[in-house]
Amino acid sequence: MIIAGRNLKVYFPVKGVRGASVRAVDDVDVEVGEGEIVGLVGESGSGKTTLGRALIRLIEPTAGEVLFEIPDHDLERYDEAREREDAETMKLISSKYSALRLKGKTLKEFRRKVGIVFQDPYSSLDPRLRIADIIAEPMIETGAYDRDKAMERVIDLLEEVQLPPEFADRYPHELSGGQRQRVAIARGIATNPRFVILDEPTSALDVSVQAEILELLRELRETHKMAMLFITHNISVVSYMADRIYVMYAGKVMEKGPKAEVIRKPAHPYTQALISAVPEVGRQMRRVVLKGDVPSLVSPPKGCRFHPRCPVAIATCGWTADEVAEALRRVLEARYPELSQRARLRPLGELELEVKGLSAPELKDVVERESEFNRALKSIQSVSEEGGRVMVRLTKYSEPHMVEVARGHLAACHLLSASS
Amino acid sequence: MAKGGLTSRILTPERKLSLQVFFSNKLAVVGLIIVLAYVADALIVQFAPWLIGLKHPFEVIPDYSNPVPQPPSWKHPLGTTYPGIDLLRAVVKAIRFDLGLSVVIVVPGALLGIVIGIVATYFGGWVDDVLMRLTDIFFSVPYLVLAIAIGYALGRNITSMVIALIIVWWPLYARYTRSVTLQVKELTFIEAARAAGASNYKIMFRHILPNALPPVLVQMSMDLGTIMLTISGLAFIGFLPVANIPELGYLTTLGLNYINTAPWTVIVPGVFIVIFAVSVYLLGMGLMDVINPRRRSSL
Amino acid sequence: MSAGREPIVTVRNLRLWYYTRRGVYKALNGVDLEVLRGEVLGVAGESGCGKSTLGLTIMGLLPRNAAIVDGEVLIDGFDVVKPLREYYKKAKRFRPNKNEDVLKRLHNEMTRIRGVKVTMVFQEPMTALNPVMPVGYQIAEVVLQHNMSLLAKRRLARARATKDDVKEALNFLRANDYAGLVEYVKAKGLEGLEDQMIAIWRRRDLHDLVKEIRVLSLCCDPVNPIIESGLRYTARTNKLPTAPVIRQLVRRELVKEGYRKAAEFLGLLGMPEPEKVVRMYPHELSGGMRQRVVIATAMINNPELVILDEPTSALDVTVQAGILELLKELKQQTNAAFIFISHDLSILYQVSDRIAIMYAGKVVEVGPRDAVFKEPKHPYTQMLMEAVPTLEPHELKGIKGEVPDLRNPPKGCMFHPRCPYAMPICREREPPMVDLGNGHKVACWLYSGGERK
Repeated sequence: MIIAGRNLKVYFPVKGVRGASVRAVDDVDVEVGEGEIVGLVGESGSGKTTLGRALIRLIEPTAGEVLFEIPDHDLERYDEAREREDAETMKLISSKYSALRLKGKTLKEFRRKVGIVFQDPYSSLDPRLRIADIIAEPMIETGAYDRDKAMERVIDLLEEVQLPPEFADRYPHELSGGQRQRVAIARGIATNPRFVILDEPTSALDVSVQAEILELLRELRETHKMAMLFITHNISVVSYMADRIYVMYAGKVMEKGPKAEVIRKPAHPYTQALISAVPEVGRQMRRVVLKGDVPSLVSPPKGCRFHPRCPVAIATCGWTADEVAEALRRVLEARYPELSQRARLRPLGELELEVKGLSAPELKDVVERESEFNRALKSIQSVSEEGGRVMVRLTKYSEPHMVEVARGHLAACHLLSASS
Repeated sequence: MAKGGLTSRILTPERKLSLQVFFSNKLAVVGLIIVLAYVADALIVQFAPWLIGLKHPFEVIPDYSNPVPQPPSWKHPLGTTYPGIDLLRAVVKAIRFDLGLSVVIVVPGALLGIVIGIVATYFGGWVDDVLMRLTDIFFSVPYLVLAIAIGYALGRNITSMVIALIIVWWPLYARYTRSVTLQVKELTFIEAARAAGASNYKIMFRHILPNALPPVLVQMSMDLGTIMLTISGLAFIGFLPVANIPELGYLTTLGLNYINTAPWTVIVPGVFIVIFAVSVYLLGMGLMDVINPRRRSSL
Repeated sequence: MSAGREPIVTVRNLRLWYYTRRGVYKALNGVDLEVLRGEVLGVAGESGCGKSTLGLTIMGLLPRNAAIVDGEVLIDGFDVVKPLREYYKKAKRFRPNKNEDVLKRLHNEMTRIRGVKVTMVFQEPMTALNPVMPVGYQIAEVVLQHNMSLLAKRRLARARATKDDVKEALNFLRANDYAGLVEYVKAKGLEGLEDQMIAIWRRRDLHDLVKEIRVLSLCCDPVNPIIESGLRYTARTNKLPTAPVIRQLVRRELVKEGYRKAAEFLGLLGMPEPEKVVRMYPHELSGGMRQRVVIATAMINNPELVILDEPTSALDVTVQAGILELLKELKQQTNAAFIFISHDLSILYQVSDRIAIMYAGKVVEVGPRDAVFKEPKHPYTQMLMEAVPTLEPHELKGIKGEVPDLRNPPKGCMFHPRCPYAMPICREREPPMVDLGNGHKVACWLYSGGERK
C-alpha cells in the first residue's frame, strides 16, 4: 500500500467549552494501493475533507497512525498485531513506516512524494505569483529540483496538462476556472509524487470542463502510475473515476469496496439512500427515504451514527432513552391525541424510561403499531408495570463492525452481522 | 493577451484598470497633485535648495531689525511673522521638515507593526496572545504622556519625538495587519504552500505579506497626514525647545501673541498642515478604491 | 395540474449588456422564451450563459450598470424592461446613474408584482434569510407586506366563530368539499376561517383526529374591541390604521397571526414541528430546512410565477432530493408556474415539463422535456449530455475550447468556434429559431428550413 491510515482520529476542540470537541474523523481505517484511485464519498460533515488532509499531515491527526509506502505483508502484520492488541509489534512497524513521526529532511521527502489538488481554483493559487512560480514552488521547497531545473519542468508540466507554455508568465486572474484547475493539477504532480489527494477537484467547474479534467486525470494516472485519493460528494463522478470507494458519514466509514459492487449493490442503508438520491436523466427518482440531517459532530449519536435517520434501524443500533422518549412523544402527539394528553415520559439513565399516565397494554399497542415507521421504538425490550408506573427498558446498543459482504466489500451495519 | 512590447508588459490591462479607477475619482486626483507638490518641495529643499534660492534650507532665519509681523505684500507674499521671518520661505522649508519627519516615523512604525502582526496571526496560540497583549499595552499609551516621559528621560529633541511616536504608532499597524492576515490565512493557497513544503517563514513573507500589503499601504499613506498633525501639535505645545526650526506647528506659535492684529501668522502655517492632511486622506481614499475589487468591475 | 396554454411570461429578443470598467459584456443576445401558466420550465446552461441574468431581469432586479439594449419582458402583458429600454435607446451615452434613476422608478412599479405575483428563490438560503430575525417572522413579513387583510380577516373570523360554526365547517372538510366550505364561510361572514382550516386539513404528518381537534379549536377566541375595530379597518383596506397606538396594537396582532400562518404553511411544506421552527433563527436550522423556509416566503402569497436560481446547489444530495420532491408536490398542488435555473441537467430532468438550453446569452434549444433529453438536436445540447457523468459510468466527452468572451462574442452562431459541425454560414449569420414540431425548437443552421442536413 502506498498509504494506510489506521484508527485515525481528528478532533477539533470547541472554543469555550472545555472537553468538548468536534469529532470530524472518528477512528477511521483507509488505504490506497499503488497506482489505484480510491474514491472517498460523503456529504457535508462526513469528514472526508479532513481525512484527506490528515493523511498528508496538512492537519495533524489527534490519534491514530498513517503508514506510508508500507508493503502489503507488513501492513497485514500490523493489522494482525492490532487484533491481538500487541502494542509492541505495532510500534515496531510504525517506527519504520509512520508518516507522523517524520521531521525536517524526511518530512520534506514525504512532501515530495505526496501531492494535493484543492477544490477552489480561485483561491488555491496565490494571486500575486506567476503561474511558473506557483507550479515550481513544491519542486523547490521540497528540494526535488533546483530553481533552474524546476523552471524547465514547469514547461513540461504545462504541456502535460494541455496548457500552452506562454501561460508560465501569466497570473491566475488571467486564466479561466478550468485553466486554473489544470495549473493546480500541474502543481500537484510537479514533484512526481506517488500519491495525490484530489479534494473535489471538479466541483467548482462547469460540467463540460469537468469532463475534460477527469479525462486528464485518468491519463495522468496511466502515464505516471500515481495513486490517487479522490474526495467528492458527487457519486456519479466517483463512479467514473474510482477503482474502490469508501463511503463516509459523520466521521466514520460506513461502507467500502470495489466501485461496481458499492454502486450496484450497496450494502449499507446510508449508501443505499445516497445512491437513490442521485438524480439521473431518463430515470424518475424514487421516493426519498432520508429525513432529518447530518448529526452534530460534537456529541454524535450513540452506536451507529446513522441510526436516527436509518429507515431500517433495529434494536441494537444505538437508541437511547432520550431518543425513544422524543419519538414516543411525537408519535403520540401526532396520532394519539387522547393518550398524548395523559402521558408523562421521563428518561431515567441511558436505557430506561419511566412512563406515567398510560397503561402497559396501551403503550405496547402503540409501540406495535408505530415501530415500523418510528424505528426508535424497535429498541424497546420490555414494558412492565411497576408500582403505579410503567417502566420501559431498551436493548443495549453497540457500534457495528465492518462485515464482509463480498470479496473486498465491507459495510458497518448490524443488519449485515445479524444475517451473516 | 498582450504580445511583447515593454509598454504592454508594464501597462498590463490590470494596471491600466487601476489607473482608470483612480483617475475617475476627481477628489483623489486633487489629493494626489497636492501631495506630489509637497513631496517635490521636500525633495528640492533637501537636495537642491539653491534651485529656489534658499541659502539656509534647514533653519528659519529671523530678522530682528524688523520683528513685527507684516501683512502679505509683494516682498513677502505670505507676510512675515515674529521675529521678522518670511512666511513663504519658512513654510517651504517646514514642509520638507515635517514631511521627512512623518516618513521617518510612519515607515519604521509600520514595518515593526506589520511584522509583529503577521507573525502573531500566523502562529496563533500563545504567540498570538502574547504579541497581541503587548500590542494592546502600547496601544493604550497616550502619545502625549509618552512623549513627555521620553523627553524628560532623553531630552526634548527631535529624536525623542520620533522614538515616542514610533512606539505609539506601531500597534495600529499590528492590529490592522492582523485583520487582513486573518482573511488571507484562510485562503486555500496558503494550505497549498504548506503542502508544497514551504517553511513558515516563506509562507508568511512570500505569500501572506504581498497579499496583505495593499490595504496596509493605503493606511500608511493616510497616516502621513495624521502624523503631521501630531508632530505639529507636539511642536505647538512647545515640546521642542530649540528655536528657529522650520516646523509648521512651531511656526504657528510664533504668531500667537499677534493673533488679533496679525492673524495670518497663525493661519498660514496651520492651513498648510490642514491642506496636507486632507490631501493625503483624499489620496488614500482614491487608493482604497483602486484596490477594492468591486469598484474595479462596475462603473 | 394541467398546464394552461397561456404564457405568463414572454421574453422577446432580449438583449442586455453590462457596462463595466473592463469592457461591455453582452450578457443576453436576443433571448426568446415563453413560460406557460402552471408549467415548470427548466433553464439549463453553464457559467456565463446568462441564465441567472435572465431570472434577475424578469424580477427587475438589475444592477445599475445593466443596460437593456433591446427586447421586451412581458409579465401578463406588463413590460418589465420598457423604461430601461427606452432610456437606452434615447441616451447618447449610457450613464449608470441615469440608468439607476430609471431602475428606481421601475422598482416602485414592480412592488405590486414582486413578492406577490412573481417571487424568487436564490441559491444560498443562509444569505437570503436575515440572521437576526426568527424565520417565522420573515415568512410573516411577506404576508404582512402584501396581504395583511387576509391576516386581519383570519383573526376576526376566529373571534367571531362559534362552536357550532366550526362544527358545521368541519363537515365540509370531512367531505373534502372545499368550495362548499368557502361559500359557507362567506355566508356566515367568517372569511379567513377557510384559509386556516384548509391549511390544517391538508397536512399529512398529523392524524385525522388531531386535525379535527385543531379545526374545532378555531373558534371562540375573542379579541380586544379596540383592536377589533383596527382589524376590521385592515381587513377592508389592506392597510394599517393610522391612529398611533391602535396601529401598533393591530400590527402586533397581525404579526402573531402571521406566525400562525407561517407555521401552517411550513407544515404543508413538510417541515416537522413547524410551530417550534417558526420561533427559531436561521442558524439553528439545517440547510434543507432553511431552503424550505425560503421557499415558504416565496410561495405563501400564492404567486403566479416562482423563479428558482440554483436552489439546491448549496445542499447535500440527500437533502436536495427532499427539496426536489417538495417542488414536485408544489407543482401538483398549486397553479404557479416555475422557472428552475440550474447547471445540473439531471436535476432538471426530474422537475421540468419543458426545458430551455442557453449558451452565451441565447436560447439554443427549447422543447418538452422528453423531446429535448431523448433527442437533443443542437450540437451543444448533445455534447452537454455526453459530458454528464452517470452512476453507470459511460465515456465522458468534454467540449473543447472555452466559453466566448462576452465582450467580443463571435460573429454568427455563438457556438461555432467549438462546434464539430460548423459550416461557413455558421460563422456569418446567427441561426434563427426553427420549430421542429411538438414545441421543440432549435437555433442551428443544421436545421434551417426544418430539415436535418
